[in-house]
Amino acid sequence: MRYDPPFHRTKGLWPTIILVAAAALAPLFIHEAYTRHLLVLAFIYAIVASSWDLSLGFGGLFNFAHGALFAVGLYVFALTAKFLGISPWFAILLGGLAAVCLAVAIALPVLRLDGVYVILVTVAVSQLLYQITVSQSQFTGGTSGIASLPGLKLGTYPFLRDGKIGYYYTALALLVVSTVFLHVVIRSRLGRAAIALRDNKFYAISRGVSEARTRTLTLAASAFFTGLAGGFYGSYVRVASPDVYGTGFLTTILSILLVGGAATLWGPIVAAFAITFLSEALVNLGPWREIIMGMIIILVVVFYPGGLWAAIQELREKLDALKSSSVSSWRRWSGKRSREALMGGARETYLATRHGSIAISDSGTDGPALLLIHGNSACKEAFSRQFRSLKDSYRLLAFDLPGHGVSSNADPETTYNVVGYAEVAEEVLKACGVSEAFVFGWSLGGYVALEVAARGEIGILGLAIAGTSPLTVVPDDFAAGYNADSHLVLGGKQYFTSEEARAYAGSATAPKGPESAFMHRNLPRTDGRARVYMMTKLQTINWPRQMNRLWSNAFPFAIINGADDPFLNHDYIRRLSGSEGWPHRLVEIENGKHAPFFNKPEAFEAALRDIFRTAAGRSPE
Amino acid sequence: MELSAFIAVLTGGLVLGVLYSLMAFGLALVWTTLGIFNFAHGAFIVLGAYIAWQIGNPDAFGLGFLVSAVVTVIAMFVIGVIFQFLLVKPFERKPNIVLLTVITTLAGATVLINLINVMWGPRSKQIVLPASGDLSLGLFRITANEGLMVLIVTLTLATLGWFLLKTPLGRSMRAVAQNREAAQLMGLNVPLLYAATFGLAAALAGLAGVFIGSIRFMTPNMGDDPLQKALVVVILGGVARFTSPIYAAFLVGIIEAFSTYAVGLYWTPAVLFVLMIAVLVVKPEGLFGRRERSV
Repeated sequence: MRYDPPFHRTKGLWPTIILVAAAALAPLFIHEAYTRHLLVLAFIYAIVASSWDLSLGFGGLFNFAHGALFAVGLYVFALTAKFLGISPWFAILLGGLAAVCLAVAIALPVLRLDGVYVILVTVAVSQLLYQITVSQSQFTGGTSGIASLPGLKLGTYPFLRDGKIGYYYTALALLVVSTVFLHVVIRSRLGRAAIALRDNKFYAISRGVSEARTRTLTLAASAFFTGLAGGFYGSYVRVASPDVYGTGFLTTILSILLVGGAATLWGPIVAAFAITFLSEALVNLGPWREIIMGMIIILVVVFYPGGLWAAIQELREKLDALKSSSVSSWRRWSGKRSREALMGGARETYLATRHGSIAISDSGTDGPALLLIHGNSACKEAFSRQFRSLKDSYRLLAFDLPGHGVSSNADPETTYNVVGYAEVAEEVLKACGVSEAFVFGWSLGGYVALEVAARGEIGILGLAIAGTSPLTVVPDDFAAGYNADSHLVLGGKQYFTSEEARAYAGSATAPKGPESAFMHRNLPRTDGRARVYMMTKLQTINWPRQMNRLWSNAFPFAIINGADDPFLNHDYIRRLSGSEGWPHRLVEIENGKHAPFFNKPEAFEAALRDIFRTAAGRSPE
Repeated sequence: MELSAFIAVLTGGLVLGVLYSLMAFGLALVWTTLGIFNFAHGAFIVLGAYIAWQIGNPDAFGLGFLVSAVVTVIAMFVIGVIFQFLLVKPFERKPNIVLLTVITTLAGATVLINLINVMWGPRSKQIVLPASGDLSLGLFRITANEGLMVLIVTLTLATLGWFLLKTPLGRSMRAVAQNREAAQLMGLNVPLLYAATFGLAAALAGLAGVFIGSIRFMTPNMGDDPLQKALVVVILGGVARFTSPIYAAFLVGIIEAFSTYAVGLYWTPAVLFVLMIAVLVVKPEGLFGRRERSV
């Protein structure tokens, strides 16, 4: 299961405004009545498909009577406008209301059923309505339907004039209003309850979601604009035919929904245009058109069950991974000398591990080994000051995590998680001929360090972490250990806008400046999947084992935090350190931020030396 | 209602029941075993009818009724296996297999129907049956063609019953239907059995198509009505035992015959659908069923 970041990359309202403006201005350039006709049909299909998506995609209710909701809107419009002679505008509204009533009626049997039974009962309802419609031929014209329905007029201006311009704008307005309505509903309490019921019915119910009310309201909300679209369709084509009850219409709408992507608002709307025009392009092929459309549906469902939307996301992910890996290869080749200079002359070597090719900086100096593990979306050069000032006392080792810095990208499923990173750290140490080491981990690297210690493959002379809250129960402690702010959200977000990248790098290390430029430049290189998968797989780590090792005082350990670290919940860590029997020190660096070794290096290094000097007095495990 | 009319309506209902049991049996078999609803079942019936017409009819190859029926059954078995491999197998073990297969089988049905339209054209055709004249048994009178159908269907269903109850392959199929995991642990080849089940269902649909093509005129779009009837039968009967759809088929046939007599042809489908909705709401597992499989 992938973790779905709460904020998607967005440019605000601009894409929407541009699309609506383009649609509004299109008639100025498209004079041909037939193309306008196709656009009106696409608008109608988009309304019906996106409304259906509310119940089917977001609500997980397989309401196959959705076509019947449209048909009811159409027939109510036809009967009231033609035979009762009421205003067509009002008749369209009546069509929408009738569809809502029908949806509530459908909800009654649906509430008692699940899964395939919902499909069956809704298919039966829609067949029943079809049979009733056809059998009442004195009103409905039977299978031939009702012809010459009244068209729409504003005052005395009939909408058919000027190349159907009135219908075009009415349909567009209907689509815009319906989309705004769906957007609001999906993000409302109702929408979230419907999604919760879809994802885990029993959990949602146990958390107080009313299944009956949510399902009924979802169906009703999906019905209103469908019924309006049905009535509008009647006023537009001016014929009400029972074909709209049939599988043909249902299959068209379903294909729009699936090709666009279920449970996305925009997918069906975009697909409505694609399918309408594709279907039109194939119109001369006779039965082959249906065959090709059927094949397209099957191919999409087999290969892209999430629809084109998912296909686009997948393509984007591939492109992003390609971009980040080529940037990494380029930098590995081009900037090696300047990196080595930055790291106080430490040689950069590359180690082939089972998690890809890993870049290692090794100061090669005398003294006990000290492994420095960097954090999320950073790189080993974060420790450049330590490499310059600590190299006389320790043999400094640092490496770029897979998908970071100049290490290569790796398989997201197996590598991009704390355990995978810990395995990389072990391989790096063994390749450098180190069996006992001091380890320092920063932020995500702190968890990697704790995991290395917990696995026990490497002898730990001493361990320190910064910007990391030790956890026992995930996700509860995770929520308690950090301030739930945008940084936490960005930490698991796949794609960064430039502002987000600046904000993240700035808050994690320091605002962009000569010293921190390297970090800022490195952030866009990070494989976005590394953040997503790392966050998703937090729960797979054996957290109690890490904590038990700390409690049992198996090795010297200390927490060095910046006192002003904006992401940590300092109370959580202070409470942990103050607990009865907690054997470790907590050092808070005054004015230190999330990366105290970066913005308060002297104080940090003094604390680290002090801790490790005390530790050297103890024999390692 | 006079006795003779009653008997005539009852006879009509029973004959319909025989046909419906053949149509519904395959649908129920797939539902119990694979846990999906095959919305292409109607298209299979149509395809069976056209294959039989092509093989057997004097205007086409003219090989006679029996040869055409045998070839249809074999060809439909193969087509069913291919269909299952392409449209159902990719979604096995996916959580939303029910919805996905509804979509793919609907789309597959569209493709099949239009291919039939391309190959044979939209004009209606009819299969010529070998028998002619009427049969009568006391007050029951049926045409010889209907008699032939009753005979063949009864034999087929009896053979199927023997196959499912007594032969190793049939018993394996039922085992897989009852519990996939346990069957797999016992060493049964589940993918093969799934394919065989789907093929068997398609073969039965093809045989039903042969009879529908002989008692009605056939067009590429004639599959909707049999599919709906088969749905009603399966819902009404449930799938607890493989015999339940057969009882339900006779029930539906008789209800349809009497309803046509009482309220007319137009209202009969409505009556059946109201009945189906009522059963779904009150007893979703079917009139003859215990709740065994919730899909």
